[in-house]
Amino acid sequence: MIFLFIALPLFTAALLPLIGKLSRRVVPDLVGNGVLLFLLVYAVVAGRSLIDAGPVVQQLSWLGESVNIRLVLDGFSLFMLVTISLLGLAVGLFSIDYMEHYGAKGTYYALLLVMIVGMNGLVLTADLFNIYLFLEVGAISSYALVAYGLGHDELEAAFKYLMLSVVASAFILISIAILFGTTGDLSLGGIARGLKVLDNPGLVAICAALFIAGFGLKAALIPFHAWLPDAHPSAPAPISAMLSGLLIKVSGVYALTRVFFNVFGLTPALSMVLLVLGTVSMVGAAFLALGQKDIKRMLAYSSISQVGYIVVGLGTGSPLGIAGALFHLVNHALAKGLLFLNSGAIESATGTRNLDEMGGLAKRMPLTAATNLVGSLSIAGVPPLNGFWSKLLIIIALVQTGHPVFALIAVLASVLTLWYYLLIQRRAFFGQLNARWAAVKEAPFWMSAALVLLAVLCVGIGIFFSAVIARWVQPAAGVLADGTQFLLRWGW
Amino acid sequence: MTSTWLLYLFFAAALVFTGLYALLTKRNLIKLFIGIEIVSKGVILALLSTGAVKGNVLLAQALVITVIVVEVSLVATALALIINIYRHTKSLDVRQVAKLKG
Amino acid sequence: MTLQTILLIGVVLFSALAVIARDLLKAAISLAVASLCLGLVFFGLGAPYAGVFEISVVAGLITVLFILTIALTKTGGDVREAKLVNIVFPLFFLVFLVVDALVMRSLLRKIPVLDAPAESGSFGQVLWQQRTFDLIGQIAIILAGVFAVLALFRKRENHD
Repeated sequence: MIFLFIALPLFTAALLPLIGKLSRRVVPDLVGNGVLLFLLVYAVVAGRSLIDAGPVVQQLSWLGESVNIRLVLDGFSLFMLVTISLLGLAVGLFSIDYMEHYGAKGTYYALLLVMIVGMNGLVLTADLFNIYLFLEVGAISSYALVAYGLGHDELEAAFKYLMLSVVASAFILISIAILFGTTGDLSLGGIARGLKVLDNPGLVAICAALFIAGFGLKAALIPFHAWLPDAHPSAPAPISAMLSGLLIKVSGVYALTRVFFNVFGLTPALSMVLLVLGTVSMVGAAFLALGQKDIKRMLAYSSISQVGYIVVGLGTGSPLGIAGALFHLVNHALAKGLLFLNSGAIESATGTRNLDEMGGLAKRMPLTAATNLVGSLSIAGVPPLNGFWSKLLIIIALVQTGHPVFALIAVLASVLTLWYYLLIQRRAFFGQLNARWAAVKEAPFWMSAALVLLAVLCVGIGIFFSAVIARWVQPAAGVLADGTQFLLRWGW
Repeated sequence: MTSTWLLYLFFAAALVFTGLYALLTKRNLIKLFIGIEIVSKGVILALLSTGAVKGNVLLAQALVITVIVVEVSLVATALALIINIYRHTKSLDVRQVAKLKG
Repeated sequence: MTLQTILLIGVVLFSALAVIARDLLKAAISLAVASLCLGLVFFGLGAPYAGVFEISVVAGLITVLFILTIALTKTGGDVREAKLVNIVFPLFFLVFLVVDALVMRSLLRKIPVLDAPAESGSFGQVLWQQRTFDLIGQIAIILAGVFAVLALFRKRENHD
């Protein structure tokens, strides 16, 4: 029952504010996290066996008549589902303690679950209009979640994010209208077939440009990134983790990739566009991250940079590059999620996000410091953590497909990344213990649990990387590497 | 047949342009949102006229209704944000709001 | 056909007026009239359901929400817009219209289109049976909007 991925969180979300009114203390947390745990287990355990025989299409029936809810689960969707559930659970656990002083936890968990419904719906559908619709579901819930603290900064960041995001959605919808008008179909397979018949590169170019503007803004690629450095830092830490770790990847990278690879087919021109956009993000954001004093702002720019890596890997078009890019997607989701949650732990203990004011926190908060180190090294690409392997694959793929210059730039950007993460380590955790923090305590139980969970995953995936790649990443990469053949063959 | 489609697309493009112009140049928060509304109108017009000229007007209607529902949710959220911003800064000027750097 | 064209011109005209108007209330009303014209255009296209939805929801509900917000945010002084913006707008607008017309004219007869499968059944059937997943999405959207408003207007126990 793939439909559970959408129905369960939706149904629970509808009930949660009611539950929150009845019991303020434990029940909303329990219900919210219970659902997230179930989704994770279901994705990991059942999903793998479901698709071993090939992509699963589920057609539902209601009272005997078949209603048109066609959900498609292939390697790529399953990969995204597992990533969403994994980070979703960690964020849910973290929120148990962190969101205490924000109030109205029932509504918070409801919004979080609706955002997950949006993301799950996006990856499970084979219809282009549905992709737009569920993208909006995730987006609207994220606007409210960014502004959840109701402080001046968050409201402003949420408003700016909303304005830019709505324009992006309009571009996406225009492109969908054009595709519908020329091919007469809205399903991904139908559009792919129609485009093959029409064989009009100009049409594909216009629609591709509109999609890059639209999905590129959702993914915060430079030059469409302006909303992210304000939105991610101002949001509550678990929401920053959700946005940086998941939403920009699902509504931006996944949608763009699905359309470009399986519907349009990756031409050399599209490939070059992706390579250039990715490289600009990779390098530009890395430089912008250097000058930041606010730890969350630095992490936000780093997200833009790492999404650049993912897009570059996809742009190579080779199976190795695609595998590396997808592997980096999940690695970054886990590691960046970990780092944002970590910054939340620091903020709730010390009350500041300013690196200059911190110092020597490792002595008072050893667990937070250790997990921060794991996360930082993972993103910087230090062996044997997971980030190292995914970056290596991308760089090798760049060399193999004949782009040595891009490979060199990727390596240099990686060095830059390592540098500014070590800066965080030095300024925040090591060195002299700032007298103001002499009395801070380690993070509360659930927050620490979430941090440890993600850190263990980073280390584990790093050590067992070949098994992870073979079992989870390869099927996903295979779907994309097949290109338009994939959709045409299965006839959706 | 295509000339009808292009006629509607002409007007849809004009609407999108008007909306984007408002978004780029206006300073009042509510005016900015009116800009977004106009862009939405343009996109809905494009969507429905596309369906109509293809003979799929029923399908296009279903899509348009869904988009309008999305728009209502969006308006509710955005206006809630605007009211909250007003409570904080007592002003609807986007320059007052823009303390954060991009 | 000419009635449609007049209505279309009306939509664009009233939208432009909504952008230029100094008074927010007049802008909201102008936008409502534009929505009305658009709804009538939809009727003319053979889409009565979309027309009814557009008129009752966009011209009705959204206008009410706008007026509510305008009432709740009455400032002592108005936001001063740049004077140049309104003067320059007609110029840019006309230039755009010319470019727009030229582009559309050049695309005439050059766009390849495939025919869509013929439609069967009533609107209800299309909505409920063909686009059922859209309805699930709509439920999610409505929930998102409701929770967003609940979250943004909740009572705060302590201020920070």
